[in-house]
Amino acid sequence: MSEAFGKRQSYWRRILGQTFVRWGARLGLLWVAILALVGVFAPFLASSFPLLLSRQGELSSPVLSYLQPVDVLFLVGFITLVSLYPWRITILRKFFIMLGVLGISALFTYLWVKPQQLVIYEQYRVAETAGDYDWVVYAPIPYSPKDYQRDRGDTGLEAPLSQQSRAHWFGTEQNGADVLSRMIHASRIALGIGFVATGIAMLLGVIIGGLMGYFSGVVDMLGMRLVEIFEAVPTLFLLLTFVAFFGRSLYIMMVIIGITSWPGYARYVRAEFLRLRKQDFVQAAEAAGLPLSSILFRHMLPNGMGPVLVAASFGVASAILAEATLSFLGLGLVDDPSWGEMLNQAVQSSRFNWWMAAFPGGAIFLTVFAYNLIGESLRDAIDPYLSKSG
Amino acid sequence: MLLSVKQLHTWFRHQDRTIKAVDEVSFEIARGETFCLVGESGSGKSITALSIMQLLPKSNLQRHSGEILFQPQGGEREDLASLGEAEMQQVRGGRIAMIFQEPMSSLNPVFTIGEQILEAVRLHFAELSEAEAWQRVMDSLEAVQLPDPETRVHSYPHQLSGGQRQRVMIAMAMACEPDLLIADEPTTALDVTVQREILRLMKSLQQRTRMAILFITHDFGVVSQIADRVGVMQRGKLVETGATDQIIHRPGHSYTQALIAALPENLALQQKHELHDKENPLIRLSRLEIHFPVRKGLLRRVVDQVRAVDGVDLEIPRGEILALVGESGSGKTTLGRGILRLTEPTAGRVAFDDNDITEMNRAQLRRFRRHMQIIFQDPISSLNPRLSIAGILSEPMKVHAIGENQEERLEIARDLLRQVQMEEDALWRYPHEFSGGQRQRIGIARALSLNPSFIVCDEITSALDVSVQAEILRMLLDLRAKRGLTLLFITHNIGVVEYVSDRTAVMYQGRIVEQGRTEDIVNRPQNRYTQQLIAAVPRVPV
Repeated sequence: MSEAFGKRQSYWRRILGQTFVRWGARLGLLWVAILALVGVFAPFLASSFPLLLSRQGELSSPVLSYLQPVDVLFLVGFITLVSLYPWRITILRKFFIMLGVLGISALFTYLWVKPQQLVIYEQYRVAETAGDYDWVVYAPIPYSPKDYQRDRGDTGLEAPLSQQSRAHWFGTEQNGADVLSRMIHASRIALGIGFVATGIAMLLGVIIGGLMGYFSGVVDMLGMRLVEIFEAVPTLFLLLTFVAFFGRSLYIMMVIIGITSWPGYARYVRAEFLRLRKQDFVQAAEAAGLPLSSILFRHMLPNGMGPVLVAASFGVASAILAEATLSFLGLGLVDDPSWGEMLNQAVQSSRFNWWMAAFPGGAIFLTVFAYNLIGESLRDAIDPYLSKSG
Repeated sequence: MLLSVKQLHTWFRHQDRTIKAVDEVSFEIARGETFCLVGESGSGKSITALSIMQLLPKSNLQRHSGEILFQPQGGEREDLASLGEAEMQQVRGGRIAMIFQEPMSSLNPVFTIGEQILEAVRLHFAELSEAEAWQRVMDSLEAVQLPDPETRVHSYPHQLSGGQRQRVMIAMAMACEPDLLIADEPTTALDVTVQREILRLMKSLQQRTRMAILFITHDFGVVSQIADRVGVMQRGKLVETGATDQIIHRPGHSYTQALIAALPENLALQQKHELHDKENPLIRLSRLEIHFPVRKGLLRRVVDQVRAVDGVDLEIPRGEILALVGESGSGKTTLGRGILRLTEPTAGRVAFDDNDITEMNRAQLRRFRRHMQIIFQDPISSLNPRLSIAGILSEPMKVHAIGENQEERLEIARDLLRQVQMEEDALWRYPHEFSGGQRQRIGIARALSLNPSFIVCDEITSALDVSVQAEILRMLLDLRAKRGLTLLFITHNIGVVEYVSDRTAVMYQGRIVEQGRTEDIVNRPQNRYTQQLIAAVPRVPV
């Protein structure tokens, strides 16, 4: 099959091409790509640990020894993605390779990567002032998200760029940590929760919706009742209950958002499959005696994915909002910063500090807006009645 | 002259190209005359009609020029192209009325037909009183011979049949007594018997009111029934105009000649197969029934059965082409799919050679499917848009273990493409890159890829232009001869039936009412329904 690619555009390439000729989708994609890059390289962009230093002629890189397993996993994922991109195989195969690599590396990183337990943020700053090093290279934002800069006295609630000696581009929060650094590290949570929660919802929705659509009859009736039951569950209150029972965990949040939002996808997939079932090419596949798996996954699913992907891009946006809402209510993660939690901090302090609300709020707005732009454009590209020029 | 169109140009801009949809078209229509515009799809017939009505989309119009001189009875001669929108609205519906192909989508589903006609009447005859206007509505419904107009006037469009809806459309057009009626393929969506009635109705209305008709069609049978004069269009140009008789029998332009020659009636009749092996038919249906349950209520109880196929006995001898004809809803497509068990039969048997297909379980049936294949009507939906032609052709072969490896299967696929007269490099392209005729060829190649002995051809040429239809039919006959295929040819086109089939079966309301040699059925039908059907077919006099 290798001949096929390169010579001709496949359907999805054509659709993606049409999606991203629209400037809205391009801007949206640009913003998401920036977020993804920032998320992947967060420990190297914002860290109190020097990237590189020389002590009496001896080179070392302290930032590496403080890397968490998650940081390594993000890097491995990013490198696999970049190296897979030029490879000429189907998107589906790339997806599975990606999944495999991530699974294996997750196992190994949690086994092998042991970051230093004792974290003293100011030790390098102190040593540098004492003149221990020949030279030091810091990250562009030389503060970790939880570096409260105790060595510098009270640095809480400094407005952006108010101090000449140490630059905080987006100011500091009440504990004295750098807002920009916290936002950079929080972008991972925003992206992660969006993708994982939507991924879970899509997987469940496609399987259940596909079965309902293909087999119809009793399966369809039972499935639709299940869909109605799940649609009646209020996500936010379920999340509150789970937080109360099991404590605060990012993973529980992802799973809950995922399993409460699949019914929408199931409805789409079911409708598509009911339509496709009657299409001549599906009948032809059946008449050729193709196995059920091929009919379902090769002939029907790719033709029915369009509306699901459109719904997914809006779903990512709403998952991000759900996490932000929860964190804003003070039920988010305990120690890791997230955009919603930062908004919560802004409200709690006695006077209004605009930089604490404007920057995380703007980031949430832009991200949700970016996904909506992509979804909008994808919908237009898939719609056969809207021509390219229109 | 009632209407004279001079040097009409309608060009559209599509991306960077100019599409000359109508290019230097000039013709005239006299009062009381029927002028037919014929041509294949995309030749600009409908755009010409829309240009006259000034109903073109403004957004991508590049050039719209020429004179459209229209002189209604007792009125001034005016150039429609130079009229303003307000004046044009007076002409539209009032002086020039238009009816379309699909009566269901041209009628508003939320108003009764009486209200819709009344609206048109009040718009153009504001001086009429309520009672007078309503009287006019009733008159127009009577004029189109709608049965029981007193009660029908209060029905909604979905409560009427297709033929009745088209009558309502005509009534709406006639209510304002137009001087010119533009009919854009008004009978294409209708069955032949209904088509005959509608054509008769239009003729009689024309004789009464002396209106002119601009009739757009692709069907030369219809042309020969209704037209006084004919204009033939090809790629936006009007290549020939003349009296009907002259165009059909002595076409001057080479394109018209090719079109007329491609009519199934004019294709050289092949030698019909005389069957040797009558004793041992390939397909034998006995008392085949396919019912669809009608379910209602909360518990989806079965309240009724739609008897799509209602007890069919049929034998198809090896190497024969059996035509299955009938009107829409007669169950012929369901029967075709039932034979292949794409639709599960409710009762009865389908025997293939000596194998009972209805008895097979899923796995057996899947293996057996390589012996019987199907080709569909709609070339657009019959190919998976996400797969390349190579994938479409090679996957069934792989499943049925034809060919040692992918290379060998691709070689077979190349060979199949050659057999359906396509280029080999089509293998690496996707369905959307091909025209309707080419897609239909690919559909045939896919059916042949498993080397089956029996193929159901479900209306395979009805979505194609006549010239393409002729090529496909010739090719199919050729393939039948080479491969010894047995075909069930489902169609409603009697010309095609006569050209391809050895025997014919006529289906009506789920039953086969008559079967026999095609020649006999077409020329000496015995059954009353068959007689009606054959008589209603508009035929080009040969």
